[in-house]
Amino acid sequence: MGRDGYTGLAVLAASLGLFWATLGLERHPMVPVGPGFYPRIVLGLTALFALGLLVADVVAHRRRAPASVAAAGEGNYPLVALAFGVFAAYALALPWLGFRISTFLFLVAMPAVLERPAAPRRWLLVVAIAVIATGVVYYVFEHYLHVLMPRGRWTGF
Amino acid sequence: MAQFKYLVPLVVGTVVGVIGGALPGVTITMTIIVALPFTFGLDPLQGLAAMTGIYVGGSAGGLITATLLGIPGTPSSLATIFDGFPMARKGEPGRAVWLGIWASFFGGLLGGVFLIAATGPLAAFALRFGPWEFFSLFILALSMVAGLVESSLAKGLLAGMLGLVVTVLGNDPLMGAPRLTFGIAFLEGGIAFLPVLIGVFAFAQIMTDVEKMGRARRAAEVVVGATHLAVSHLRVIGEILRKPFLLLWTSLIGVWIGVLPAIGGSAANMMAYDQAKKLSRSPETFGTGNPEGIIASEASNNANVGGSLVTIMAFGIPGDAVTAVMLGALAIHGIQSGPLFISQQPTLAYGIFAAYLIAHPIMVIVTGLAARWALRVVMVPKTLLYPVVLVLCVVGAYALNNTMANVYVLLIFGLLGYAMVKAGLPLAPFILGVILGDQIEINLIRAIMSDADPWLFVTRPISGALLALAVASVAFSIWQHRRMQAKRVPVEGDADF
Repeated sequence: MGRDGYTGLAVLAASLGLFWATLGLERHPMVPVGPGFYPRIVLGLTALFALGLLVADVVAHRRRAPASVAAAGEGNYPLVALAFGVFAAYALALPWLGFRISTFLFLVAMPAVLERPAAPRRWLLVVAIAVIATGVVYYVFEHYLHVLMPRGRWTGF
Repeated sequence: MAQFKYLVPLVVGTVVGVIGGALPGVTITMTIIVALPFTFGLDPLQGLAAMTGIYVGGSAGGLITATLLGIPGTPSSLATIFDGFPMARKGEPGRAVWLGIWASFFGGLLGGVFLIAATGPLAAFALRFGPWEFFSLFILALSMVAGLVESSLAKGLLAGMLGLVVTVLGNDPLMGAPRLTFGIAFLEGGIAFLPVLIGVFAFAQIMTDVEKMGRARRAAEVVVGATHLAVSHLRVIGEILRKPFLLLWTSLIGVWIGVLPAIGGSAANMMAYDQAKKLSRSPETFGTGNPEGIIASEASNNANVGGSLVTIMAFGIPGDAVTAVMLGALAIHGIQSGPLFISQQPTLAYGIFAAYLIAHPIMVIVTGLAARWALRVVMVPKTLLYPVVLVLCVVGAYALNNTMANVYVLLIFGLLGYAMVKAGLPLAPFILGVILGDQIEINLIRAIMSDADPWLFVTRPISGALLALAVASVAFSIWQHRRMQAKRVPVEGDADF
């Protein structure tokens, strides 16, 4: 089974799971159809298309010699995982450290992850951008656009 | 509209759009997403003026890097490279850049004529729609996006259905009955589409670029003398206006592609370039610096903006990702786009017309002034740029209603969007599904509540015609893909969502 097959299988499982969850929904006395009517149509069709993708992939793989399967891409996936991890940590840290501290840390950490600064001057540039960007975004949104940016539960800042 | 308070955001938006459009890897969608939170504190027309400026400026900004570096600033300027870059390398960078700028200007104005002339009549026509017709119209939009722009119809349809699945989570939109919330309070209100859009486009796009980091890169070749862009404007304008049919035809292609849901400037400029080559008396010179190639590409991608705005203003269906963000911005201010938009919000509607028209001369000035130093700006390393963009994405999601839940939605859908890209699932039908899902459900249930006869969807003339078009669109797509497979021509590319 190839990429499409696994995609079809994952979507099929998820849509059938959600479809099953709609079976317990009660009908509303005011309308001829209940809250589960439309989701069942959507999830049923999704499951059908996912099954189609799965079957088409399996059939295609039986016809095709294994050697003709396209090679996997050569993307820098460890870097993607690391970058996503840093971004996730930033999003999760926001309510605990507050906008200013977590954004500053993120703006220092992310460029360092993407391309480690080779010289102290480059580190200085990264830190300067982090300070300026954090300050400008915070000031504009708090004072000009009246958006109350997250304050840290741990830091109060 | 000439008031200063609207002119300032329009000018600022155009400047931001030109810069965003010129930055390779930063699409117009990403630019408008980054700018979105800054519009929350503005009144609706100021916000829309800024966004219109970004849209118009971004559509033209891509030509700077396309002609001088040979790198498309945005996908909608891809075809500009084919003749713009060779012309610049031959020692005419000024002519290449200004041909693009003035073609964008004239194409944009022709798109504006269509925008002003067609929006009212189309909206009036849509006023005859009942829930059956709206349901069928949205199904047509989804089937067109799934069928016309993707390499695999099955994947297009599946992606569209996944978008609809997102909208069934949370209370049902008509009666508010809880469903599929799994006890999570946040899900009761459903998932807002803007954090989904930000996650899927900005985050997934950045992660796709991160994939390529740390690998060998091709150094951009800057055209020698690129900072000397002086040119006779009368000569350049005359060169464009001496080809009125080319200008008109490629602008019409742009407008038409813009009207079609979710197919934007990237398809328009390629199609217009292809048409220009076919209609040219010297097709063999295309790719060597033929001005017709630049005119076709740039006129079409700016005319495309007018077409996209028609669709959103007359039907409430986004023509591409940029208008999807504009739709979200309207929703934040409690304004519903659709057939009643012009009659209920005339100030906003005519304000958008005015902003669109005024943005073009501003774009000419800004792009002309920016072209020289924009080359320095585009050299900013992505490793420094992307983290700041991500912070603005987070702020944009958070500021929607000052809740961290939207940031987590962004995170989850960013990951999902990236997974979809890697799985080969197109993003355009997915986002259109997310945007239209609630409206499809509401109109379906309203139709059933009015009359339970399901055949009305087929027997009502407009509804039946729209559904027939949807079936025809899918059938055409199947035929086209089979033909492509028979010729073994790979079908590439996603729509502009």
